[in-house]
Amino acid sequence: MSLEISATEYLSRVRAGNISVEEFVAKTLDRVHTVEDKVHAYITIDEQNALNKAKSIDKKIKAKEKVGSLLGMPVSIKDNICTFGLKTTCASKMLENFVSPYDATVISRLRQEDAVIIGKVNLDEFAMGSTTEFSHFGPSRNPWNTEYVPGGSSGGSGVSVSALECMISLGSDTGGSVRSPASFCSVVGLKPTYGLVSRYGLVSYANSIEQIGPVARRVEDIALVMNIIAGHDPRDDTTVQNNKVDYTAGLDSGIKGKKIGLVQQMIGEGVDKEVSSATNNAVSKLQELGAECITISLDAVEHSVAAYYTIASAEASSNLARYDNLRYGFDFGSEGFEFKAYVSKIRSNFGPEVTRRMLLGAFVLSAGYYGKYYLKAQKVRAMMKSQVDEAFTKVDFLLAPTMPILPFKIGEKIDDPLTLYLLDINTITANLTGIPAISIPFAISSSGLPIGMQILANSFEEKSLLQAGYSLQQATNLPRVPL
Amino acid sequence: MVDRKEIAHLGDLVKVDLKEPEKYIQQVDQILNYFERLDRVEYNSDKTLRKEVSFESLRDDKYEQFQSDGKPLIDYLKKDQNNFVRAPKMI
Repeated sequence: MSLEISATEYLSRVRAGNISVEEFVAKTLDRVHTVEDKVHAYITIDEQNALNKAKSIDKKIKAKEKVGSLLGMPVSIKDNICTFGLKTTCASKMLENFVSPYDATVISRLRQEDAVIIGKVNLDEFAMGSTTEFSHFGPSRNPWNTEYVPGGSSGGSGVSVSALECMISLGSDTGGSVRSPASFCSVVGLKPTYGLVSRYGLVSYANSIEQIGPVARRVEDIALVMNIIAGHDPRDDTTVQNNKVDYTAGLDSGIKGKKIGLVQQMIGEGVDKEVSSATNNAVSKLQELGAECITISLDAVEHSVAAYYTIASAEASSNLARYDNLRYGFDFGSEGFEFKAYVSKIRSNFGPEVTRRMLLGAFVLSAGYYGKYYLKAQKVRAMMKSQVDEAFTKVDFLLAPTMPILPFKIGEKIDDPLTLYLLDINTITANLTGIPAISIPFAISSSGLPIGMQILANSFEEKSLLQAGYSLQQATNLPRVPL
Repeated sequence: MVDRKEIAHLGDLVKVDLKEPEKYIQQVDQILNYFERLDRVEYNSDKTLRKEVSFESLRDDKYEQFQSDGKPLIDYLKKDQNNFVRAPKMI
């Protein structure tokens, strides 16, 4: 029994009685124990509960009782999504012992469908980063070459899915944090439309742009998860009704007759030669499949990194102001401290990237600078939305490489935050404008590192986006992860 | 240009004792210099994105006790006694 099977294949094998849930979960946990030393995807492994849950699902199946649609599928959860009774550390020293007192809505929905949570996975502290190096618990490593970064901030999600340590994972995407690790680890990652998936129970970083999204090895598995997590949640007023769209239906509808716009500003200067060549190949493949490809210009992309980091830092600085260690946090007595001195001392435990963004956020929001930075960033965001809306009157999808460069060595860029920020140039458009985007594994470089292609669609067009992604996936034949 | 004084002021605003302020001076300055490009954009509109939500679409503003696994939220928090959270003295 291979752990590489797709989620749909897993379901049919469990239904047919070919494998038991306990058997599959135990095998997944064995795999976790075998590879974790090499890749460090997990912060918390919930082994005993996972096995108990698997056994109870097997019992229900045997007794022909009602079982949730995921039939014990092993999943991992990014450690900034609240899971009742399990730690939610946000990969931060500030929350290293914090146990969630409730489930996020996405977790309740997965549990309702009898998913088995294997554990909580690594991220850049509070989801701020694009390499998973800014985790208080140490970096995750790319299963394709463990000396290289796996992308981020949902690096643990990308790694755990790629290294067969779970079947699907939930991450969060504020500026590409699901798609970047998907691209670097050769798995599929979807950033849904803002408002399609509840953020209740997601630890806030930048509320106006972040979104929970699934990571899986196949597009059809992503569709399966979306059927469960998408839709209105009374606990998140930004969510909308999705009329119970079935994202799995018609996945193989093809892309014939669709028009695709290759975004000019996302394939120019700074793009690695092999990434560029893979993009050209993707265009050819899509044309062979019957799509029409044209070039589209989105001028605002050139200003998007400055606008994005202004807005994200401003929201981060505001959101992280709540961490005072008084109601929850680690043990550190307040005796002898004046209030502000206590809070400032405690908050010096934030890592360097989080601190940097709080400083930037405080600066761009401070008197005299609000109009110069924050307001202008918001105008760029509106300009970008208008250009994207205009583009979707001409094309059905936009296309670009997910990441402009190949995965790089751990530590190589850690002291150069601006260079790291600039790597987000192709992913942040979807966050600033709220549209959905998916990263599909497309090629492997001459050095054996993954290259992902990103397809973007208009708001709430996930169904057709998944169809396009599926078409591209079916046109590729990639090697297995060498781990 | 961000200097030591400015970084110390920002640290004060975000309530963080900066252990190595020098480390942040050059990096924050470099990033803010990059943000300067927002001045070079040709803005053809003052429009910013906003979503209007009707009052009727909001959920009812009514008290609902938060309970998790049958326990009130306060049971999950660090507390001193009689359900109070202890905070340092405010001067």
